[in-house]
Amino acid sequence: MDDIYKSFSGVHALSGASFSLKPGEVHALLGENGAGKSTLMKILGGDVQRDSGSVLINGVDPGALTPRKAQDIGIALTHQEISLCSDLSVAQNIFLGREPKKYGLLDNRKAVALATEILEGMNLDIDPNSLVRDLKLSRQQMVEIAKALSKDAKCIILDEPTSALATKEIDELFKMIQTLKGQGRGIAYISHRLEELSYIADRVTILRDGKHIETRNYSEFTLNEIISLMVGREITEKYPHVDAPLGDTVLEAINLNAGRLVRNISFKARAGEIVGIAGLVGAGRTELTRAIFGADKKQTGEIKVNGAIASVKSPVDAKQKGIVLVPEDRKRDGLCTKLSIRQNASLPNLDLLGKLGIVVKAREKKLANDTKDALMIKASSIEDDASSLSGGNQQKLVVGKWLARDSKAMIFDEPTRGIDVGAKVEIYNIMNRLKLQGIGIIFVSSEMQEILGMSDRIIVMCDGRITGELSRQEATQEKILDLATQFESKAI
Amino acid sequence: MGKFLSRLLRSKSSGQVAIMAGFLVAMVVAFQMLNPKFLGERNIPILLRQISPFIIAGIGQSYVLLTGNIDLSIGSVIGMSCMASATLMSVKGIDPLLASILAIALSLIVGLANGLLVSSCKLPPFIATLGTMTIARGIAQLVNNGKNTGPITKPLSATDAAQIEAFAQKAQKFASFFYYGKFGPLYYSLFIAIGIWAVFDFILSNTATGRHIYAVGSNAEAARMSGVNVEATVIKAYVISSFCAGIIGLIQCAQSGQGSMNAGTSYELYAVAASVIGGISTLGGQGILIGTVIGASIWAALANGLSLAKVPLALQNIIVGIIVIISVLSDVVIRRRHD
Repeated sequence: MDDIYKSFSGVHALSGASFSLKPGEVHALLGENGAGKSTLMKILGGDVQRDSGSVLINGVDPGALTPRKAQDIGIALTHQEISLCSDLSVAQNIFLGREPKKYGLLDNRKAVALATEILEGMNLDIDPNSLVRDLKLSRQQMVEIAKALSKDAKCIILDEPTSALATKEIDELFKMIQTLKGQGRGIAYISHRLEELSYIADRVTILRDGKHIETRNYSEFTLNEIISLMVGREITEKYPHVDAPLGDTVLEAINLNAGRLVRNISFKARAGEIVGIAGLVGAGRTELTRAIFGADKKQTGEIKVNGAIASVKSPVDAKQKGIVLVPEDRKRDGLCTKLSIRQNASLPNLDLLGKLGIVVKAREKKLANDTKDALMIKASSIEDDASSLSGGNQQKLVVGKWLARDSKAMIFDEPTRGIDVGAKVEIYNIMNRLKLQGIGIIFVSSEMQEILGMSDRIIVMCDGRITGELSRQEATQEKILDLATQFESKAI
Repeated sequence: MGKFLSRLLRSKSSGQVAIMAGFLVAMVVAFQMLNPKFLGERNIPILLRQISPFIIAGIGQSYVLLTGNIDLSIGSVIGMSCMASATLMSVKGIDPLLASILAIALSLIVGLANGLLVSSCKLPPFIATLGTMTIARGIAQLVNNGKNTGPITKPLSATDAAQIEAFAQKAQKFASFFYYGKFGPLYYSLFIAIGIWAVFDFILSNTATGRHIYAVGSNAEAARMSGVNVEATVIKAYVISSFCAGIIGLIQCAQSGQGSMNAGTSYELYAVAASVIGGISTLGGQGILIGTVIGASIWAALANGLSLAKVPLALQNIIVGIIVIISVLSDVVIRRRHD
């Protein structure tokens, strides 16, 4: 793959990315969040079409790649999420869509025999008749790979295969990778866990901002070199950081535990402060914000608002206590897209718009118009559907609907994802305005520069734990990435 | 009225509603040409009385559909309310007013159960209300030991003629209020339906509860993240649906003057048809109640007009089915263009 370009609605995901894979090697593809690793591999797997650049397979241009065609020429892409039918057996999954047949009927015996052959070739002890549902996560992943092998894949792409695995399972996966390598197959390996690389990687390619930065043998790198190449991006954009007088602690989390990705989290946010939460994708940042807001269940731990313990069991509680959340996925969690701008703007505030549950229409319209004007939401009327707004304006509406309330702490989860530069600056300005009003702000972002540019203090998470805290002065990209990759479990 | 019209014209569902209103007018004209008795002095009040229970059932179902769910128990709750009120009157000699209140209360319990099963226990609404549908029908059969009741005007508990006479008068009043009585040229049932529409249309368009119903149907997760109590909202919709069904049960009890175990059969589907013809989206979040009123009118007027025109019953069924499909199709096409 050479000089690949790809942009999604104006945003460049790849601009000059290159990658090559030889038979019998494990080639690790590294880069920060959003560096374009997954996009590049999806182009190879046919899931995404490139804008320009060349792809050669065994020296031949395969033409336009579709998932089907990529499979036919021996490329297998396993996704971060497992996509198997959990109520079918292992053998049934491996041959899904290409079931062996006899006289036009399913030949189950042959399917099981073929599946056994493949699994034995992988040195795996899995019964092809067992249901996928009954297998451990790592085993399910292996079945995905077995599925790829059944199509005789020469090139196997593993996108963060270890992110959900326990140490023992990782061990099993690595053994299998060695087996596949020995069979002369090439393996492209995406991972954030740099310490894993020493066990499997032969070569390493680093991407940054969609560009190819460096390709070398793994042995020629030091870990620090890899990190600095990953982040070595210059901060060019200006962020409108403002200083506000620090007030008392408005929100405090004490020993919060919620699921696998929120483990023993304690931190404080003060009035007039932006607390950045940095970390890699899957570090548990979104889970933390949802647990604080009551959207997900907390196992243990407490939330304090203005120093008093607040029982937050649901978003209804959170809203009453003055905690609000601008969620990461605005289409799924933020907006009722079938409803109008007016109806979305007033939805959390209906209790403020009249008595006895009756909504006074005039007040509702005023609220919606005020929101639209204050945030400069571009729409011809407040009666337009929320779905008709552009991404940036939708995001402003999701933020704006909370501004009528007297909040103590506001949590922004990736508020600038997928919106244009102008809208980003407007979101930063809103955050600054709220900060000056004495609201405590928690700011989750995967963009290093943004989090460095806007935060007064940065908390770094890895694997559901807080691995460090940096002040605005001491924070650098290298320090954040170092803290963000401090995984507990070292693979063997 | 001007406000109402402007809201109607602004609403996204108005396209479908306008088309269906036009269709209703065209249908009425056609039936009138086929049989001049259709808009005769005698048929109009009867026609409007026939429409009333469809409007009421449709409004209840519309509430549930707007939250993105469905209520299959409506028909059985009608039967249960009909049998419960009739049994209380004809066997126990309980005052019709009290009997009505008890029958409605029983109906509300089913609505509450539906709401809890769907929102708190997270059962698929189709299955949950299929279950309560069967249970409610079972209760309808159980209350009078597996038999239809005798006439509500002659309670079995009454011992002497004076007592019977006094109760019969009360029961007559009940029958008159819900079915036989007229205000001017029109039957009371129509006014009951209009009253229910007015109240529930107000709730839907002017209260927080109404807005929550649209929000939950549009995107339940976003509603929850905005601090809406999604469970309570779904429960309210189901309780309102059962309330409407309970009222229809009383109307049917008044109509036949006795309790019938099969009362209300298939009403849940008529109610879906009325809602969908009137532009309520089965996916939730979209539609207005005036559409349901028009949909119910089309449904009932078809039945009335086709039988006046002496169309065989089998053909009537086929025509009605085709109209349901066409109306949903037009709705889908309109929305696709809107998006």
